[in-house]
Amino acid sequence: MDLAELWAIFGPGFSGAVFGTGWWFWVDAVVCSSIQVPFVHYLPGIFASLGALMFNCVRKEDIDYSPYDEGEWRLKLWLFIAYVVAFVSLAASVGLLIQDSVVKTGPSTWTGVAGVFQCVFVLISGLMYWTSHSE
Amino acid sequence: MFSSSILLQILACAIYGNWWPMLSALMYVVVPMPCMFFGGGSTQFLISRDGGGWIDAAKFLTGASTVGSLAIPIILRHAQMIETGAMLIEFTSFFIFICTVMCFHRASLDDDW
Repeated sequence: MDLAELWAIFGPGFSGAVFGTGWWFWVDAVVCSSIQVPFVHYLPGIFASLGALMFNCVRKEDIDYSPYDEGEWRLKLWLFIAYVVAFVSLAASVGLLIQDSVVKTGPSTWTGVAGVFQCVFVLISGLMYWTSHSE
Repeated sequence: MFSSSILLQILACAIYGNWWPMLSALMYVVVPMPCMFFGGGSTQFLISRDGGGWIDAAKFLTGASTVGSLAIPIILRHAQMIETGAMLIEFTSFFIFICTVMCFHRASLDDDW
């Protein structure tokens, strides 16, 4: 049994574990925060989950890599939009981390750090599921 | 083994006089749900690559639920609501629970043969 076979067997479960880890980081930050976390801070995690869901709607066997044919441009456009959503959510979480560390009256720095961890873990789990999922 | 897992759950509550660690037991209920819903009541699909999209989704949900069992004691400890000893007892309980699932899995696979 080679490594690709093992990855196809255990990859989806492991990506689920990474996804859960990301969201539990955020639950920990919200629970341990001494003040109310505003709803704006929830958005990067929600949009990262949405982005991961978006590029998992595309099966990797369907992508046409030919440089000559017009190919499935709608598929690639959808993947591009999913990438933009993922990138913007990650950038937003980093921005909120910087804001949390600079502003004293806002949430603590751990809230920003947990937000970045959440986005990173959620997006990594999406990638792992996409690469290991087989139809 | 499952009884000793539940016993450790109750010990983690009784020794330290608070019942927050029982939240972990909720996740024990959630973990087998993908097996029952998508896998036909068997753990065969966890080590197979057949089955297609729904089986992979069931694996994903099983992984996510399993992490919850570990995350709840950590978050309770971080929020100063339980002691470190209770958290470690919770981890031991979860480990015994996983051993129980592995033994059940082995036994059911032997039944298939």
